[in-house]
Amino acid sequence: MELGKALFNIAALADLGEEITSEKNFQEKLHSLLHVVLGTFLASRGAVTCQDRSGDTMAFVARRGFDDLSPAAIDLGRIRSAGKNEPFLNADDAALAAAGVEVVTPLWVRDEFIGTILLGRKFTAEPYSREDFELLRVISHQVAITLNNHALFLNLSEQLNDNRKLYEEMRRIYHDTLQAFAAAIDAKDMYTRHHSQRVARYASAIARELGWSDHDIEGIYVAGFLHDVGKLVISNELLNKKTPFTEEEKAEIRRHSLVSYKIISQIKFPWKDVEKIIKHHHERLDGTGYPDALSRDDLSEGAKILTLADSFDAMTSERAYRRKMDLRSALIEMNSCLNLQFDDKIMLAFCRVLDKEIKGELPEPDILPHLGRESDLTVISAMLEGLIEELSGQKDGG
Amino acid sequence: MNPSPFQVTSRLVKDVAVVYPQGYLNNLAGEGLVSECSRYARTGIKKVVVNFGKTDLINSIGISLLLHVMEELQAVEGTLCFTDMSKVQVDIFEMLGLSKFFLFFPDEDRALQFLNVRER
Ligand SMILES: [Fe+2]
Ligand SMILES: [Fe+2]
Repeated sequence: MELGKALFNIAALADLGEEITSEKNFQEKLHSLLHVVLGTFLASRGAVTCQDRSGDTMAFVARRGFDDLSPAAIDLGRIRSAGKNEPFLNADDAALAAAGVEVVTPLWVRDEFIGTILLGRKFTAEPYSREDFELLRVISHQVAITLNNHALFLNLSEQLNDNRKLYEEMRRIYHDTLQAFAAAIDAKDMYTRHHSQRVARYASAIARELGWSDHDIEGIYVAGFLHDVGKLVISNELLNKKTPFTEEEKAEIRRHSLVSYKIISQIKFPWKDVEKIIKHHHERLDGTGYPDALSRDDLSEGAKILTLADSFDAMTSERAYRRKMDLRSALIEMNSCLNLQFDDKIMLAFCRVLDKEIKGELPEPDILPHLGRESDLTVISAMLEGLIEELSGQKDGG
Repeated sequence: MNPSPFQVTSRLVKDVAVVYPQGYLNNLAGEGLVSECSRYARTGIKKVVVNFGKTDLINSIGISLLLHVMEELQAVEGTLCFTDMSKVQVDIFEMLGLSKFFLFFPDEDRALQFLNVRER
């Protein structure tokens, strides 16, 4: 899938999540959801129908267009027999076709058929694509749960269960989509393959060590995934250049954090400050970073974490213009940049995570598995203990 | 949370309605934009300029609403122009394949010029 489209789809899911979890009344919520769906697929007509519990008929709960369509005329048997929450092109139903319905999605929750999403042709007259159908399937599932939650006969425990499932599903979708997206960013630069994924994991491990909440950890994970989105505007030749960069080329590359910020600001994420953390991933404590040349006190903890995670991965992976460093050299290098580039509190947390991982104290290590095996871990562990003592001493001493 | 509640103002320049949405075009409040355009369309105005200078964000809901406006104008064979849109937004319209259906101008003057209207 094209990158711009992937980003648009992520944004659409964010919009959907925002509407589903909003405090609006049910009618307004469905009306907004329908708009999200119409805008996402560029359809000018669409409707959400709900199964009438007393009989075998449907009622419109939100619609735009399809004025001549009577719910009673719809052949429910055909829709019921289609896959659950699987969109299909309407071919057989004359009433639907006459009204201009092009795509039908049966909405199901567990074993209950609860309604449909009907969509007209695209404004651009293009056909619906496979990706459209995939996204529509995800969206339908969530609309189904929203509709179902509203139904009065559901008992509370079932509702809570569904809400939890919905939330988990949302998270999974976010992460899958983001992952695909990050992979595409990294693929552009052959030397930074998996860079975004690693930075995401390193940053969230540090945040966890610092006692961040699960929600905030998720936010910095997403920031890690997307921090280099802005590299998409830089040419491949420049990114993969083997000779040193000229001043102009450096300036061109430095644009990327601001471009990332501009792109990410367009998406309304459920996490706070993702875009700001991303904007400042090349700032330095000594105020010589970019784009805003902020200094220590102006930088958020999130930005400081991402900076360190990003630099650590840059040091320990191969780049076009230099070989990768071993773990020991990277730690020495980072230590020499303390207070200039990196915050000692973040460095301390980083050393602690790494030390715990080497000692096998963390069940799911985030950093160690990504590092080369050429380092002697007993030496590293001793080194980390020294650093931890030094850094925590500094902290205690003020 | 929206930093500013959505508002629509407008003015008539000869036979062109210039509409100014203000705030985020990302929720049902944006229907105000549709009704403002429809209001002009009903009085026979067929040329509409939407100035996005004060709109920072357009999400999927916003796109749905703009398609609605476009359809209403298409129905009366009218013309819809967008001006002062940020590059990010223009790129999104481009990427979605919508740019050929809308007319984009860097500013209002140029849109009015295109529509053959001179102010003053
Ligand atoms: Fe970067
Ligand atoms: Fe990076």
